[in-house]
Amino acid sequence: MIECRGLCKDYGAFRAVRDLTFSVAKGDVVGFLGPNGAGKSTTLRILAGFLGPTSGDVTINGYSITEDPIRAKSQLGYMPEAAPLYPELRVCEYLAYRAELKGVARAARKSAVSRVMEDAGLQGFERVLIGQLSKGYRQRVGLADALVASPPLLLLDEPTAGLDPNQIREVRGLFARLRDRHTIVVSTHILSEVEAMCSKNIVIARGELVAQGSLPEIRDLRRPRSVRIRVRGDASVAKKALTGLEGARLVTVDDGAGERRVEVTFDDPEVADATIERAVAALAAAKVGVLEVTPSSSLEQVFAELTALTRSKEQAAPGKKPKKEARA
Amino acid sequence: MRGFWPILKRELVSLFVTPIAWLIMATFLFIEGLFFYFLVYGYSAATDVVVGMGPAEAFFGQSEFYYFPLVLICPVLTMRLFAEERRSGTIEALLTAPVTPTAVVLGKYFATLVVYVTMWAPTSLYMLILSSYGEIDWRLVATGYAGTLLVGAAYLAVGTLASALTTSQLAASMGATVFILAFFVMGYAARSFDDGTTRTMLEHVAVSSLMNDFSRGLVDSRRLVFWTTFAAVPLYAAIRTVESWRWG
Repeated sequence: MIECRGLCKDYGAFRAVRDLTFSVAKGDVVGFLGPNGAGKSTTLRILAGFLGPTSGDVTINGYSITEDPIRAKSQLGYMPEAAPLYPELRVCEYLAYRAELKGVARAARKSAVSRVMEDAGLQGFERVLIGQLSKGYRQRVGLADALVASPPLLLLDEPTAGLDPNQIREVRGLFARLRDRHTIVVSTHILSEVEAMCSKNIVIARGELVAQGSLPEIRDLRRPRSVRIRVRGDASVAKKALTGLEGARLVTVDDGAGERRVEVTFDDPEVADATIERAVAALAAAKVGVLEVTPSSSLEQVFAELTALTRSKEQAAPGKKPKKEARA
Repeated sequence: MRGFWPILKRELVSLFVTPIAWLIMATFLFIEGLFFYFLVYGYSAATDVVVGMGPAEAFFGQSEFYYFPLVLICPVLTMRLFAEERRSGTIEALLTAPVTPTAVVLGKYFATLVVYVTMWAPTSLYMLILSSYGEIDWRLVATGYAGTLLVGAAYLAVGTLASALTTSQLAASMGATVFILAFFVMGYAARSFDDGTTRTMLEHVAVSSLMNDFSRGLVDSRRLVFWTTFAAVPLYAAIRTVESWRWG
């Protein structure tokens, strides 16, 4: 669906995206991850045809975004960050305009608009002025706009930014319904979203690709460094049982807020699984009830490590000029 | 030209609901109504009419009442076209739709031209009033309106370009006003030169030369070519500007 080869984008002397190569297959739900300023929005804007690449090329469903922009853009529905809209139009007017702009035939326009209004949860808002909508509902209108021409590909830039938890859950529900009909690329810096929605992930930092693959694959890139064990009874007993455990560097007791937990940090993350097994066995031998074992390798941590990795690589590389912080 | 019609319609809706178009039309018609009143009053008070033109000719281009509203109104009509979309970010949604930069520029431009024509349309009533009290040469009225259309086409094209060059509506409006005013002032400047190349050149580009000819029914092809170019060049530049945003 997307073939992106050697993509670079310079803003003056600042290189926002460098040599980005990836592909997205039909039917994928791709999480496009990176910290703020990593070049996510720039990349999506290039994919959507709003910006032109400095070098490299993108094809959408076989059409080059630089050589054949009209056909390429017909293949996609793009929702810009913060979904900017015309405040003076009514919701149905705006969507009808967007449908016409995207070449939806006159006869199909009305049904297309009512279909996406239903999909985005906008029923009853047809006659409301966009300027009077709350941020959450404006996002929905932006989403409805992306969907209105039923494009095979959806590019959504931070679709859940600024939404409350209920709205985020609704958006996720919507994605679950849409994934059968569309290939979806969602950019975000909130990783729990990715865990909930995406089948494949592309991680970028400072404009460079740092990892791609399914979530377990990315998580496997970094082993958990420690594990938290919730126990029943006295945590200090558990601590005693774990003291001197082979392969465990430090054992702390976290007894805050009435919860009984011990935290085991591994000497060698590569043999973490074996260490966890030994720790649980030691606790069982000491007759301490194990209630919960939580590896602390959250995606956040993987992410922080992956993006820190490229940073240290960069610092190690001699002769490179220090870069400016990326603009939004 | 994919996207031309929806963009034109959207611009018209926005112009009329915001309600810039209504405000502009009301202001314009108030000034022109006043002008027409003075014109008729002047002609009826003159006991011995020996002037070479009737009120219909005088209405088109023989007074600052004709030029100043246009100098002020055209940039205000066009100032938001691109500046507003770029400031609010809606330009991103617009340019990621399958539309060509040409369609975007021309759709927006023709929307303002439609408002311009709508704004002039009620003045045809003045001509009807005149014709019920005296003789009116409708051919002169037609060329007067043709000249007016040329002036508007050029001024609005300049305004469209100005709006594409900045994200500030105020800057767009002022930039276009200054540019348009320069061509107006050239008509005056020409008079301060002796006959010669400079004077001829200034007279050719001055808006008053166009309207002097057209209000008298003189359709000079040189003026036609010059003012069509005056409209086409800024539009072409605006299209290239919109294209250039991709590579900024």
